[in-house]
Amino acid sequence: MEVDREDGRSQNQLRPLACSSNILHRAHGSASWSQGDTKVLAAVYGPKAGTKKNENPEKACIEVIWKPKTGQIGKLEKEYEMILKRTLQSICILTVNPNTTTSVIIQVVNDDGALLPSAINAACMALVDAGIPMRHLAVSICCCVARSGLVILDPTKLEEQNMKAFAYLVFPNSVHSVLPEGSLSVQGEPIENGIITSVTHGVMSVDDYFYCLEQGRAASTKLSDFLRRNLQQQSTDSSKAG
Amino acid sequence: MEGRLANAWRLTVNDKNFIKTALLSEIRIDGRKPFEYRKISIKFGREDGSSEVQLGQTRVISIVTAQLVQPYRDRPKEGMLSIFTEFSPMADPSFEPGRPGELAVELGRIIDRGLRESRAVDTESLCILAGKFVWAVRIDIHILDNGGNLVDAANIAALASLLTFRRPECSLGGEDGQEVIVHPPEIREPLPLMVHHLPIAITFGFFNNESILLIDPTHNEEAVMNGRMTTTVNANGDICAIQKGGGEGVPQRVIMQCLQLATSKAASITKQIKDAVEAFNTERALRKIKRHPTSTGVDVREKQNQ
Repeated sequence: MEVDREDGRSQNQLRPLACSSNILHRAHGSASWSQGDTKVLAAVYGPKAGTKKNENPEKACIEVIWKPKTGQIGKLEKEYEMILKRTLQSICILTVNPNTTTSVIIQVVNDDGALLPSAINAACMALVDAGIPMRHLAVSICCCVARSGLVILDPTKLEEQNMKAFAYLVFPNSVHSVLPEGSLSVQGEPIENGIITSVTHGVMSVDDYFYCLEQGRAASTKLSDFLRRNLQQQSTDSSKAG
Repeated sequence: MEGRLANAWRLTVNDKNFIKTALLSEIRIDGRKPFEYRKISIKFGREDGSSEVQLGQTRVISIVTAQLVQPYRDRPKEGMLSIFTEFSPMADPSFEPGRPGELAVELGRIIDRGLRESRAVDTESLCILAGKFVWAVRIDIHILDNGGNLVDAANIAALASLLTFRRPECSLGGEDGQEVIVHPPEIREPLPLMVHHLPIAITFGFFNNESILLIDPTHNEEAVMNGRMTTTVNANGDICAIQKGGGEGVPQRVIMQCLQLATSKAASITKQIKDAVEAFNTERALRKIKRHPTSTGVDVREKQNQ
């Protein structure tokens, strides 16, 4: 089934990706991630001493602050903060620096669809730039189900609004390019078949959802490679002083 | 939370003495002369009315949006201009999220006075229907990286985004001409704002020693200096605003020297902003022209069918 997308992409094609890290001088780690016209800036400060009142002091705590492009902070921003916090908590090793807080600040520069996945990718890169210990990286993608039943990846804002349902999916990054024999497996399945986060909007059938997961997983391999290439390039460039 | 205060960045006594001693010989730690500005780079986003300014290590983005609202009752024929400054915790470890601190409020007020009270933006042209509908222009300034001298950078960003902002064209319709129809940008070209002049903010730093005076302090120098003054002037030599809130007392002749210096700096910064906006407008026009080849393509195919 062929689908007519405004920018001429096929249903499984992602928008052009661009990312750069270490762009801010005061922040301990920073990264900018753009997918097409959606651009997000992430900065990391940490670990800082002390945890907030209701947090467990035996572990490190992650604090997320989401700054929208314009307007006041509302419930949607708080929801994004919570999703991002739980996603990052599952990939960071929280027992290394107990009783500390790592702040992740997200600034939306432009929103053209797939905002939360871009933010998760940017936050991941910023955490690497800051040197926060992590188990593995997370790659995030948005899949949506059109009214015709077709599943397409990485929608623009216009496409998102016309969809029947869409899902933001976060997978652990695959290590195939580094370890050809594959990564650790959990109960017989390789680790990158797991899902870290899944947020859906709208109504979709169970089959559609599983198809979304398959497409998302395939795309996440490409994203992992892109992330790895970028990080390797940054590390061969001059190291950050001070 | 008290632990957070312990994380606030503080300059060591050695660093402070080094900066002060160097300034006595007119040397600044980043190699500039006392009256030299850092490199200013102005970039624009894809949409109209969004700009990003980098002044040395300081980074600020500014976004302009507009909405149709009811005007104030005592000013029925004037539009509104409001400025919101966000000191993002991204910029500095000591910026806390939530309520704006003193610095954020002061910065917002300085830019507000420079732009609104000096009538740089024509608010009467924003009136569509007197007493019922006017445009309320909102400027959101986000500070991304605090490398010192946030006021000047934020001011330049606000001006650059105002100059590239386009508001939709609207006309009056309906039975009695009381309805406002807003035309989408695809149908009618959106209009720029009327900006009469560009007020540029220039910040000076004062120290205990009267002979030390510098322009555009970095955040290290800000931690050392004893007083600051921000003058907002435009290229015509008009003084739009002066802000000196406490700090070291300064003799009159130094203030006059600062004002003269500010006027000459304002001229060069105004030229830089105008050049950057000019380049953006040409690129924008080119982007619109590029759309046409696809429409001429369709025509050719139709002719072939005939």
